[in-house]
Amino acid sequence: MTAYTTRSAGFARKAVGRIAAWFLLPLLLVLLWWASSLSSGNYYMTPPNEIATTFGEVWTAEAVSTDVLPSVARLLSGFAIAAVLGTVLGMALGLSPRLRALTEPVLEFFRAIPPPVLVPLLMLLIGVNTSMKLAVIISGCVWPILLNTIEGVRAVDPVLTDTCRCYGIRGRRWLTTLVLRSASPQIMAGLRQGLSIAIILMVISEMFASNSGLGYAIQEFQRSFAIPEMWTGIVLLGLLGVVLSVLFGLVERRVLAWYHGMRAAHRAG
Amino acid sequence: MLEVTGLQKIYRDREREVEAVRDLTFQLTEGELACLVGPSGCGKTTLLKCIAGLMEPTSGTVELAGRSVTGPPPDMAVVFQEYGRSLFPWLTVQGNIELPLKEKKLPKKRRGELVAESLEAVGLSGSARAYPWQLSGGMQQRVAIARAIAYEPRVLLMDEPFAAVDAQTRADLEDLIRDLWNRFDMTVLFVTHDIDEAVYLGQRVLVLSSSPTVVQDDVSINLPSVRDQLTTRSDARFTELRTRIYSEIQNAKHTSAAAK
Ligand SMILES: Nc1ncnc2c1ncn2[C@@H]1O[C@H](COP(=O)(O)OP(=O)(O)OP(=O)(O)O)[C@@H](O)[C@H]1O
Ligand SMILES: [Mg+2]
Repeated sequence: MTAYTTRSAGFARKAVGRIAAWFLLPLLLVLLWWASSLSSGNYYMTPPNEIATTFGEVWTAEAVSTDVLPSVARLLSGFAIAAVLGTVLGMALGLSPRLRALTEPVLEFFRAIPPPVLVPLLMLLIGVNTSMKLAVIISGCVWPILLNTIEGVRAVDPVLTDTCRCYGIRGRRWLTTLVLRSASPQIMAGLRQGLSIAIILMVISEMFASNSGLGYAIQEFQRSFAIPEMWTGIVLLGLLGVVLSVLFGLVERRVLAWYHGMRAAHRAG
Repeated sequence: MLEVTGLQKIYRDREREVEAVRDLTFQLTEGELACLVGPSGCGKTTLLKCIAGLMEPTSGTVELAGRSVTGPPPDMAVVFQEYGRSLFPWLTVQGNIELPLKEKKLPKKRRGELVAESLEAVGLSGSARAYPWQLSGGMQQRVAIARAIAYEPRVLLMDEPFAAVDAQTRADLEDLIRDLWNRFDMTVLFVTHDIDEAVYLGQRVLVLSSSPTVVQDDVSINLPSVRDQLTTRSDARFTELRTRIYSEIQNAKHTSAAAK
């Protein structure tokens, strides 16, 4: 009983410690920012307290629904389409050496093109609309998903492949129970990279040609020298990144519970 | 039932060729329990994979019930030597055993019974919900065995299935295999490097030579069909048989050394 309470107390202390560690660096950075903005008096370096007060004024419910939510919706749909596309194509390419040999040079070519340079081209081809922004997001974030999926599928343990063959596991069950699951750690790694690229491309697509959206708003503030407002946009973007990353982490923890458990077991043994 | 004729397997890659087995010929009759012994690296796993249709022989044929084996035949279960890697780490023990049964389209109730029975048989009733990586090596091996027996195969191939278990569990599992083989009409080919185990389990022991591999000897085990860890192992015939097989293997080493 005492052992239990001390253990749970230790656990709580650890949790508090972890949360404190989490916030320590952000807090320090804010303080540093504050000190330097006050001492320099530079017009472009808005002190954090001013950014905080402006934040509430700029991002009202209306602004959020006209600028933020559509951006986030485009981001998420672009990412989702890329995720499906990358995983499905990646499985096909990973499973077929012939298909891989055929497409490899083309894949390398497209992968080498930085997605932002495609924006003007896509604007010409598709026009300035939602489809074009989605296309920008997809064209950038599909690559890490695709390539990681290919690697994951190729790395399926041959003993498991033999096990499936010998027990007659094929078709859909083979695809979902063997191939998809065993590639899932790499697929998740690809998705994580893809997600951060998607955020960048969401902003870029809106900066080029748009009349709404988070990227557009930030750029507009900058053009009209509304510097504190611009900063609030940047902060909002950062927060969006943090939230998405935390959510992604939650999903990953569930999907890859077996993987993390297995790795911990191997480390311990 | 199972006919292996002139089986040869040469592994080829860019740099070199390895002749894993040279010329294997033997037959198993329906319902037989045969053990395969041979020195490490002599090609036991290679032979098993060819029989299981997982690998194509370089020359020679494998026939099962009169039909040439070109892919994994139905009704055959294999317990792989790499038992740990043959379990799906994202499925629980229960999920691992159930997966082949789902593919067989057995109803849920029947699947549950088979899972429970097979786990009970290998002494792991309490571990159905555990993941393979939460179990010890010996327990994982027993899960792989449970999966094979739950499949109710007509032919069971086992590749050193007891390598990672302690002596007591090993004895229990040996009796389990004999019991299952007695109860269900299975043909069993059991690979081991343990001569005592081969003699205790088998009706027949095939001795492979070291590489280049041929069947060195085919020993019929004339022990009573009801076997018991204590009395069988102290039987004079048991000792005689194991001595014979042991010297065969020693011979095999010398001849192959002389050949080189
Ligand atoms: N995939 C492979 N590629 C090349 N050589 C291989 C391959 N698999 C096995 N070999 C070689 O074939 C020979 C026989 O291997 P095999 O695994 O069949 O032996 P084994 O009798 O099962 O050995 P052990 O008792 O150690 O399990 C060995 O010399 C091995 O190096
Ligand atoms: Mg082997």
